[in-house]
Amino acid sequence: MSITLQHVSKSYGTEQVVRDVSLHVETGELFVLLGASGSGKSSLLRLIAGLLPVDSGRILLHDRDVTALSPQARGTGFVFQNYSLFRHMTVADNIAFGLSIRKVRRAEQRAKVEELLDLIDLHDCGDRLPTQLSGGQQQRVALARALAYQPNVLLLDEPFGALDVKIRAQLRTSLRAIQQRLGVTAILVTHDQEEAFDIADRIGVIDKGELLEVGAPTALYQRPQTSFTATFLGTANLLQARRNGTRVYIGDANLPAPPDTEHLSGQPVQVLCRPEEIAVSATRAEADAIGAVIGAGTVESISFAGHLQRVTVRLTDGSHAPLQIVLTPGDSRALALTIGQTVWLGVLAYHLLPLS
Amino acid sequence: MRELSPRSLPAFILIGFVVLYAGMLMVIPFLTILYGTFAKGLEPIIATFQDASVQHALLVSLLLSVIAVAVNALFGLITAWVLVRHRFTGRKFLDALVDIPFVFATPIAGYAVLVMFGRGGWFSPTLFPIVFAYPAILLVKIFVALPFVTREIQPVLEALPPDYEEAAYTLGASRWTTFRRIVLPEIRTALLYGIVLTFARVIGEFGAVSVVAGAIEGYTETATTFIFRALKDRDNTGGYSVSVLLCILSVVILIVMNHLRHRALDQR
Amino acid sequence: MTHFSLPAARSIAVAPPQTPYGVWGLRGAAFTYLIAFIAVPIVVVFVQGLYSGLDEFVASLVRPDVVSAIGLSVWTAVLMTVINTVMGTLTAYVLVVYRFPGKKMFNTLIDIPFAVPTLVIGVMLVVAYGPQTVIGAFFKDTFDLRIIFDTPGIVLALLFVGYPFVIRTVQPVLIQLDANQQESAHTIGASPWTTFFRIIFPVIRPAIITGALLSFARSLGEFGSVVIISGNIPMRTQTATVYIYTQIEEGNFQAASGASVVLLLVSFMVTIGVDLFLRRQRHA
Repeated sequence: MSITLQHVSKSYGTEQVVRDVSLHVETGELFVLLGASGSGKSSLLRLIAGLLPVDSGRILLHDRDVTALSPQARGTGFVFQNYSLFRHMTVADNIAFGLSIRKVRRAEQRAKVEELLDLIDLHDCGDRLPTQLSGGQQQRVALARALAYQPNVLLLDEPFGALDVKIRAQLRTSLRAIQQRLGVTAILVTHDQEEAFDIADRIGVIDKGELLEVGAPTALYQRPQTSFTATFLGTANLLQARRNGTRVYIGDANLPAPPDTEHLSGQPVQVLCRPEEIAVSATRAEADAIGAVIGAGTVESISFAGHLQRVTVRLTDGSHAPLQIVLTPGDSRALALTIGQTVWLGVLAYHLLPLS
Repeated sequence: MRELSPRSLPAFILIGFVVLYAGMLMVIPFLTILYGTFAKGLEPIIATFQDASVQHALLVSLLLSVIAVAVNALFGLITAWVLVRHRFTGRKFLDALVDIPFVFATPIAGYAVLVMFGRGGWFSPTLFPIVFAYPAILLVKIFVALPFVTREIQPVLEALPPDYEEAAYTLGASRWTTFRRIVLPEIRTALLYGIVLTFARVIGEFGAVSVVAGAIEGYTETATTFIFRALKDRDNTGGYSVSVLLCILSVVILIVMNHLRHRALDQR
Repeated sequence: MTHFSLPAARSIAVAPPQTPYGVWGLRGAAFTYLIAFIAVPIVVVFVQGLYSGLDEFVASLVRPDVVSAIGLSVWTAVLMTVINTVMGTLTAYVLVVYRFPGKKMFNTLIDIPFAVPTLVIGVMLVVAYGPQTVIGAFFKDTFDLRIIFDTPGIVLALLFVGYPFVIRTVQPVLIQLDANQQESAHTIGASPWTTFFRIIFPVIRPAIITGALLSFARSLGEFGSVVIISGNIPMRTQTATVYIYTQIEEGNFQAASGASVVLLLVSFMVTIGVDLFLRRQRHA
């Protein structure tokens, strides 16, 4: 079942939390709404679920206009951040709740509950109370409860926000597997960019109620269209530049202009370069050999990050913030950088976006 | 706070002082009236309770109290729900109204009913008598115990996260089903506790009932107005017997209240 | 567990699209219930009191027996509040901090005044401490002090009726108090007294004040126990509530109205005071 939003807006008093959002999610897709706290992403999800009424716009589930329907009538499954399991019911009763509302026969309910307990890998926990389970287990039960009556749409509001890092990683992998197995269309809301990259088919970046960009994870990471997206999805080095003819000018240096960027000619632009795409060389000669040199700079800080080394370098022409660079163990051993050392920087890959 | 065993002399004295105060204030009077009633033997007591007008008074008290409790339970629940879950202008005002019966002198409440429904009153009734008849007693009983159910349920409702009911809605439950299967089990103990408090308050009401009902023997006399009349008429045995009966009832209520309070604390 | 805070409740709206019918049905029921049973009687009393004009109203108030009655109500309530606040705080402290045999039963007993009818409370006190009893006679003979059927009896009855108030507001706050704070005070070398006054007391002070004001307001309006125990001697042992009752029974409605209005005004002012105080506490 596909999900379509058409110009949906919502305000609380004078504050507009969702601004004119239009979106289409394909059947069977796992779409991630990524944004910071207060960006409106949870509100948007609640509008889709029917827990909040829209001010304007339409919501369509598989081309059926559900804008005026109550949450009960929309038939979506919702997973909350704090699980919201019913405390006085057992795990099995929680999962079966949606089925008992739909007057499914007891024997069928039990069979379905067993099936779901297997799916979430909690076979013998049917008779336990939610308070007897760990956070991760409770969230799995919440998921099973939302899936019990086979909804066509699954909505998840920061489902792993309250759990530790390791569990989060495990759970999102299982979620992805379950979602694909059942073929359920899903929208997951999160502020965790790593989570988004891990499981999303497509990501929608949302800021201050506005849907900024939509795209596959790699596309958004490598070729964002806004500064916000660039900085939100990972560390971004943004250098002010100007595009003229076939070159991009950054201070004294210049680089070949990427293809399909003619429309950005003559206006101030930004060059996006990810930390892992900057090459560091100790001498000018080495830098020239690699190519695409943007200038010299001084090493300002070096820090150890397990499998990587993080280095910041301030360019000598001083006009930019220090560049964040990441080195593999091999490179960091070869370079043996010290603070204050002068190095030359070159870019291995970069992207051009308008100044915003 | 961690519990300590009293180790020093000042601690012992403090505990003793506190217990002695409570004992002299409440326990001694309680025991004294029990003793005083049974001191003359069981016969006078049995005679009292075989008196038809006493039985009638007790019955009147009981039945009207039960009705008042039912009304307050239903409307108290609705009021708690509206005050917690709805937002509207005047909500704070309504909320403040709820506490008024706590501090409202009971004879004045009876007086208000007299003024409203008595002969020549604001809303003189034509169909059936209200004052000096059962309806007035019922009205004042409802008034004096009005806050209890609402105030017991409110904090429990407030503590329920909104997600809780929303989860049920998304699973397909109607608002009524959600209330019945999800909310009610959570507030059940608070509701029961409120009902018990209401019943205790209502069955012991005297001031308002006395003013408004005329305490007509065999008709509008209640248990408490009977006690008052008996003592005035120097029928100590009668007065004390019914007092003791109400006391015993209170002890039962107390035990039930205690049990419910522990249940609520365990639920948290 | 009796809920003693009197602030306006917080509203947490759960808001799926609501059918107007259902909303207004519930809201209407609540409105009707509260307006009919509470707002209307208050209005009735006030209007009736001022019905014959302001002059009559004031005249009904400046009579010596009314002034005496209201004065008596106030000072007995004040005295009761002072004693009850001290004893209530100590009792709450003892209940929370110490372990002793019979503690559970003691905790249950505290609610007696909520369970026993006020009239019966009056009767119990008369039976236990009346002039014919050991203790009553003792006080009468040695101090020439009559407890029952005189003003000390009124204070005694009010103390009984108001006993749980301060205890039940202070207890939960004490229970929640961080045990670590108490322990760090001990390790620094503070004596139990210092610990109490500088660490515990500031935290429980709002609860104490709330309980005190509540018991004061409750005492002003107390009738059942007082009417039995006071002997109802006008100008001497007749409190405002008993005065009002007597006037109604004798048919002097104007006098009853006047005193009712004043008593209600005082009670309301105290209640509003508590509410404002608590709201200020909440925002602190």
